Amino acid sequence: MKLMGKDITPAKVMALVGERLAARGLSSPGDTELTPEGVEARVDPLSFNLRALEENADASVGLPLETHRDGVAGRAVVIAKRVFRQAGQIFINEALGRQRAFNGHVRDSYAQLAAEVIRLRQRVAELEQQKVVVAPVATPPPRVEAPSLTVKKPVLKAKKPSRPVPAPPSAPRPTTRRGK
Amino acid sequence: MRRGVARVHQLIPCFTPADAMGQAAVAWQRVLRHLGHTGTLYADEVAPEWRSLVRPASELRPTPDDVVLYHHGIASPLASRVMHLPCRRGLVFHNITPARFYEGTRLAEPLVAGRAQVAAMAGFVDVAIGVSQFNARELEVAGHRDVKVVPLFVEPERFVAASADVRMKARLEGAGRPRVVSVSRVVPHKRMEDLIALHEELRRVAPRAELWVVGGFAAGNEAFKKLKRRADAVGGVTFLGRVSHAELVAAYRSADVFVSMSEHEGFGVPLVEAMAAELPVLAFGAAAVPETMGGRGLVFDEKHFAALAEVVQLVTADEALRAKVIAGQNERVAELSFEATTRALGAALAPLQLDAAPRSRPASARRRLGIVVQRFGEEITGGAESLARQVAQQLSAQVDVEVFTSCATDHLSWANVLAPGTSTDDAVTVHRFPVRRARRIREFNRLSDRLFNRPLDFVSETHWLAEQGPDAPALLDALAARKHEFDAFLFFTYLYAPTVWGVPLVKDHALVVATTHDEPPLAFGAMRDVFEAPRALVSLTPEEKALVEKRFPKAARRRVIGVGIEPLTPDPERFREHFGIKGPYLLYVGRMEAGKGVDELVRRHQALVSAFHDAPTLVLAGSGDLKPSGTRVVYAGRVDEQTKWDALGGALAVVMPSRYESLSLVTLEAFAVGTPVLGNAACDVVRGQIERSGAGHTFTLTDDDGFRNAVQRVGSERETLSRAAKKYATQFRWDAVVRAYLEEIDLIRRKS
Repeated sequence: MKLMGKDITPAKVMALVGERLAARGLSSPGDTELTPEGVEARVDPLSFNLRALEENADASVGLPLETHRDGVAGRAVVIAKRVFRQAGQIFINEALGRQRAFNGHVRDSYAQLAAEVIRLRQRVAELEQQKVVVAPVATPPPRVEAPSLTVKKPVLKAKKPSRPVPAPPSAPRPTTRRGK
Repeated sequence: MRRGVARVHQLIPCFTPADAMGQAAVAWQRVLRHLGHTGTLYADEVAPEWRSLVRPASELRPTPDDVVLYHHGIASPLASRVMHLPCRRGLVFHNITPARFYEGTRLAEPLVAGRAQVAAMAGFVDVAIGVSQFNARELEVAGHRDVKVVPLFVEPERFVAASADVRMKARLEGAGRPRVVSVSRVVPHKRMEDLIALHEELRRVAPRAELWVVGGFAAGNEAFKKLKRRADAVGGVTFLGRVSHAELVAAYRSADVFVSMSEHEGFGVPLVEAMAAELPVLAFGAAAVPETMGGRGLVFDEKHFAALAEVVQLVTADEALRAKVIAGQNERVAELSFEATTRALGAALAPLQLDAAPRSRPASARRRLGIVVQRFGEEITGGAESLARQVAQQLSAQVDVEVFTSCATDHLSWANVLAPGTSTDDAVTVHRFPVRRARRIREFNRLSDRLFNRPLDFVSETHWLAEQGPDAPALLDALAARKHEFDAFLFFTYLYAPTVWGVPLVKDHALVVATTHDEPPLAFGAMRDVFEAPRALVSLTPEEKALVEKRFPKAARRRVIGVGIEPLTPDPERFREHFGIKGPYLLYVGRMEAGKGVDELVRRHQALVSAFHDAPTLVLAGSGDLKPSGTRVVYAGRVDEQTKWDALGGALAVVMPSRYESLSLVTLEAFAVGTPVLGNAACDVVRGQIERSGAGHTFTLTDDDGFRNAVQRVGSERETLSRAAKKYATQFRWDAVVRAYLEEIDLIRRKS
């Protein structure tokens, strides 16, 4: 165990602690290396939201039974909720049938939109990459030429639209601001 | 309309006064005002009783220039709304507990969803702020760039021994030692079971050891019940639950060590509170904890309970070690100060270039003065308001004076009676702004009864101020937007929201005529902004100045500037005839309120009437919620200026029953026409005026005999007292007052 504190001498304090523990017949803690806690990983919003929509699309499935009440009242509430669910499930299914269908549509629409957002982000990233390659090249002043009957090839050839790209595990970050 | 200064609103998912995020947002509102920004605090969920302080998020209507700082923690529908707000946006990240602590519970999903929202907002905010470096790193991992750190702060003055609740302190006083306190909600990641394991070890070496857990818990929760069973088996564990601020201070101040076993903290406000309460802190170095401790206190990296129990013993018993730890912690508290947060938030917002107003005025220009007062107009009854109008008019010959005030005429309800907009009062320009929320005086009085005379946290004080009002946000917006157009701002009366919230906005140009009374709100820490932030404080009497110095040792520069008295020629007979008064009469002029002592005065007078057939009549002039009546009592209601002077000129004596006066203009007016004054002995200011002038007597408001004696003496000595009164009044001249104010304005001008 490591003890830290600018205003004390940690080794001295730990030595005293060790003496006291030894007097009680206990062993001192080992000398560990402090490893600062890492930050939490990024949660990709598109894939998280899609998963959350999938898990919660069926409105007729109840959440885990809970109560904040203590003692007998708390137990009674949980039992009452369970009985209500069991007895009323067929009515719940009936009442929430359209909601379930609606939620399914929301889930599917979100999935399609998310896929499209991911595809567009990739496309923007590709175009920006090409811009970076092209930008440093000094553009010569336009030459005045005689009109030509032949059409020149464009410098940047637009890629043909490819088929929708499936969502990668970690989608690229948006590169635009304020949703432009 | 292009605004000079953008407003900075804050948006939080849910406001409860005990929640750290809500507390931070209220505290940051003060910080923002000190940076010169106005703005409102909004929450998606806020109980009706808090809506004077926090408005529902549905009312948020930012302009494109405005900034909305959204405070984010667990998942909230606001995160999605923020991305679509038509203004500049900021994210303030308070961290989210990792979902691994809540697997299998309903909480797990919103915790992960909250992180997904943080990442989703990355491309949609103009400024991203972490309240610690740790949080800033998480924002960067989530995709935010150029992340700023603005640490939270606590006000150490609120954690001094004098702020401890006496009853709680007495309750904890008899407990065994060592006493360990921990402050947090009883939830899984706080690891209360580890705290109890430590306590169990501690009781092996110190059988009378106590553990106090402060913070909310769900009594019906299975995990809590298990924890409680274990705590009961060990013994000496008390779950104190949610406590008031004063009780919290009592717990800190009664304990020997603060221990945190929490395995995730985005900042850890209680760690700093404990340090501010001079309590050694022993904390597990999870997440942002080492950063918050800043190398101070004692941080450990392994939960070896036997060793930690010995550390607790050492820190409790070894005075030298304890003193070193506390001294270091004090330095850390000083680092995490209001000023540090203000600097950091100012730097974080600087790239947004919020202050676009022109910075300076030509030095040769005629002086310009803004006067801020809660009500203004000829028809307003009230000493401070009358004084504000008189000062405005007297200065207007040499200064361009503009008044910023509300549309209210009645200070009890703040009802918008006068039209909003700009008008003139002789040479004075008057800007009136509507009051957002009328005051319900009964509820307000109940709130005051609940809060007064006990130490409070900043949120409670600010809530009282918001209820006190008048809440005129457009008035504050105008001050912030036009602050560079004026040489100085003169604020009247410390007690009202436009002063408390307005002074920080223009503090480098602020003069405050505080009209200080020795009353409960003067003890509020929030009042430091009024007395410490401005360039100078104007007291009306030496007694008021002494009171300010006693209560605010760090008060701004002080100066006594009185008033000028210019009496109209009185015609006492006209007054007597109009109200049918025969024989001698005592006169009270002022607001008809219990707080002014009017009801007590009537009781003393009725005792006098029942004892003496020739007792003088009592004439009461003024408006308010009291309509006193009684034998030989004449209620004149609100009277015009000439009638007031007629009444003053004919009175046997003017009676000042109020305990709370900072000048008592009526006393000086009475002296000016040679009328003696009988004043409440408990009021330092009136007593001082009477003693300096030798033109009256004091009495104890609750004592019939004392009142009778004072009336009898004034009857027999009236001629002598009258001469002394007239002599004393000659010093109150407007030319001297105007000169003093001009000096103060010029001083600010030069320093600006």
